[in-house]
Amino acid sequence: MKVLLFVFFVAVAFGCSDSNSKSAFVGEVPKSAAAPVGTISSESIYQLPDTFETQDNKKIVLSSFAGKPTVVGMIFTHCPYACPRLTADIKGIEDKIKSKSEDVNYLLISFDSERDLPNQLKKFSNDHALDENWTLLHGDENTIRILSVLLNVQFQKDAEGNFSHSNIISVLDKNGVLVFQKEGIDADPAETISAIKQLL
Amino acid sequence: MKYFLSILIATVFFCAANAQKKAVLSEKKMVTVSSGNYKPFFVTKNNRPIYVAAFKMDESAVTNAEFLQFVKANPQWRRSKVNRIFADTNYLRHWKSDVEIGESNKKIYNSPVVNVSWFAAEAYCKWKNKKLPTIAQWELAANGAPKNFKYKSLTDFILDWYTKPNPRILPNVKSTYQNQYGLYDMNGLIWEWTFNFNSFIASRDSRDKSEADFKNFCAGGAINVVDKTDYATYLRFGYRASLKGNYCISSLGFRCVKDLK
Amino acid sequence: MLQISRKNFYLESPVLFAILLISSVLFFFSCKTNSGNSMAENNIDTVLTGTVNAELTFAPNVPKPLTYTSPKKVIVQLETIEKVMPISDSSEYTFWTFGGHVPGDFIRVRQGDLVDFTLKNAPESKMTHSIDLHAVIGPGGGADATSTAPGQSTHFQFRALHPGLYVYHCATGPVPLHIANGMYGLILVEPQGGLPKVDREYYLMQGDFYTKGKYDAPGLQDFDETKALAENPDYVLFNGRVRSTTGPHALQAKVGETVRLYVGNGGPNLISSFHPIGQLFTKVYMEGGTEINTDVQTTLIPSGGATIVEMKMQVPEVINLVDHSIFRAFNKGAIAQIKVTGPENPSIFQKLK
Repeated sequence: MKVLLFVFFVAVAFGCSDSNSKSAFVGEVPKSAAAPVGTISSESIYQLPDTFETQDNKKIVLSSFAGKPTVVGMIFTHCPYACPRLTADIKGIEDKIKSKSEDVNYLLISFDSERDLPNQLKKFSNDHALDENWTLLHGDENTIRILSVLLNVQFQKDAEGNFSHSNIISVLDKNGVLVFQKEGIDADPAETISAIKQLL
Repeated sequence: MKYFLSILIATVFFCAANAQKKAVLSEKKMVTVSSGNYKPFFVTKNNRPIYVAAFKMDESAVTNAEFLQFVKANPQWRRSKVNRIFADTNYLRHWKSDVEIGESNKKIYNSPVVNVSWFAAEAYCKWKNKKLPTIAQWELAANGAPKNFKYKSLTDFILDWYTKPNPRILPNVKSTYQNQYGLYDMNGLIWEWTFNFNSFIASRDSRDKSEADFKNFCAGGAINVVDKTDYATYLRFGYRASLKGNYCISSLGFRCVKDLK
Repeated sequence: MLQISRKNFYLESPVLFAILLISSVLFFFSCKTNSGNSMAENNIDTVLTGTVNAELTFAPNVPKPLTYTSPKKVIVQLETIEKVMPISDSSEYTFWTFGGHVPGDFIRVRQGDLVDFTLKNAPESKMTHSIDLHAVIGPGGGADATSTAPGQSTHFQFRALHPGLYVYHCATGPVPLHIANGMYGLILVEPQGGLPKVDREYYLMQGDFYTKGKYDAPGLQDFDETKALAENPDYVLFNGRVRSTTGPHALQAKVGETVRLYVGNGGPNLISSFHPIGQLFTKVYMEGGTEINTDVQTTLIPSGGATIVEMKMQVPEVINLVDHSIFRAFNKGAIAQIKVTGPENPSIFQKLK
């Protein structure tokens, strides 16, 4: 009898215990979002653990790009003017760098979570003759917004599902730390190229 | 018998202690903001009012006490541990330590938490299974008619708050007005983070209002301000445009929202 | 007979030819000499010969004249501060300021200098602020580069290409409100070689203010947008406060001295008809530029503009500097004073029985 009572009270005691703390963890906090992960530098944008899909329908995380400098632009494929021009600007930079090194990643990340699915990104890549150094990424709305804030890119979706956005070419070092940015279409690439060369 | 009694007392004590803890951690009240049309402040040629579906919103801003629970449960968001790209050096600088607001700061336990970055606010809302409000949601909620208001208009009240310096001790949540949705202090206490604060393409130089550089503008057309005499809103949008995600500012906090279903 | 055939000209009059040749060469070279401003533009020495920290002062004081002779990199740091201060004897106002004063810091550089500019916004500020300096040739006068949230700082550089006295002001939207709350000041770009020496230099800046309450109503006054839109101010002030520069705070000068005033007009709305009662301006650098007018009673200072004026003190007196749209001086506070001390000079002015 005593044992039963004991067990009963223990059960009650545990029943009353901190079940709230469990509910506090319902939302997932990216564990690595705010602390250095392994060898990823604490200033690196690759801290973002979210998963993206590439134009080849591969799942990928940003830290996969570590090891080489990375040039990043944010675009959407239905963009009539600015995005093709930004892509061309980055291609122009690639041409100038190629002779020095092939070891640079070129990343285009789409604002358009709804429409720029992998096959659409693949089409864009083919249309613009982007080589194997280029990866185009699709992410969900939340992930894309967080990334845009990390890259200081402004954007918003309009009623038609298109996007107004600033145009920035960002340069990340081998660890994914943002080291240089250049705003504008048809901007003078000299400083950007110099920034990349310093990372090679 | 003594054994039985001591176990009984211990259990009761334990339950009571947890009950109290539970009371502190009790979920923040959320109110429903009914669906409506939000007329954006910055318009383009193709602009239409944005339809905002009904949603639930925290009735008041997240407080220091509430945020304390978050950093206790999530060490990576503590002041001494947080990554600088997610929060600058002003992060929670008004607190005594990583996990203490401080005895001398008793008066602000229930004041809105400030000196928190967008990333920190985002993470908090996620932890609560909620989200940061979009600008459209926030503006729709904030334009709710005030109840029992002594000011001539909401704009008057807002401008009045903007042009007064920050108080030394930030008042508690629910200390200013309540609006038609049951929301407290949407204006008059702190600025609040929004999910898509980095939305504005208009040049940061606000006089450049005529033609936004077409190069920067896929959606086409000039961006323009609807009502240039609405200084209150103008200041708020200008403020948002100057922010970066890791900024921690002493008059900037947040509240969370949740989908209805 | 006087006709000298071409064929023989050179052979028969070599001296004449030589004279003609030499004089035409000299003539040609003398015409090449540039004058005044265009020389400034073409021959700016872009090699900087060192770095200096700008001396910054608050009104009515002016930084000392610069003594260096070649362009420098000049470091300037301003901080925007929101502060409650008295606007009159009974009224207070929440001013938005550069440096905690209205007007803000006076910046003094030399034509050709590279100005390295940092703008800080105090952490206690509620608002984002920025700066547009009228001396800057570049986007927004620096505004776009300096949109600064509270607790943050921004940084840019510009070359002071042209001499003159220029207004600077905050350019964060809505710009009129930031200016109406006192966010303006002056930057002087001295011409190469500096300005002619005078005995005293002072800094004044006019501004109009709009409050919900009447002139000098007691307590903290709110900004009144309706009055501002109607351009109907309650206060028109020099240096941001009623009686800021009168009585015990009057500017000082002595008989015999030449006094130079750097006077700006922050607006936001009104143009000033600047006049010295009991004196006249012997020299006016019109609109703060390079053209000099002389012997002027009243000069216009555009809103968002400036002027440089000089006076020769002849007799002891109190000079009342006013905006001669005279209700402003009488009823809204637009008066500053210069107290001139020294010996009487009956040959200039004498009261007779």
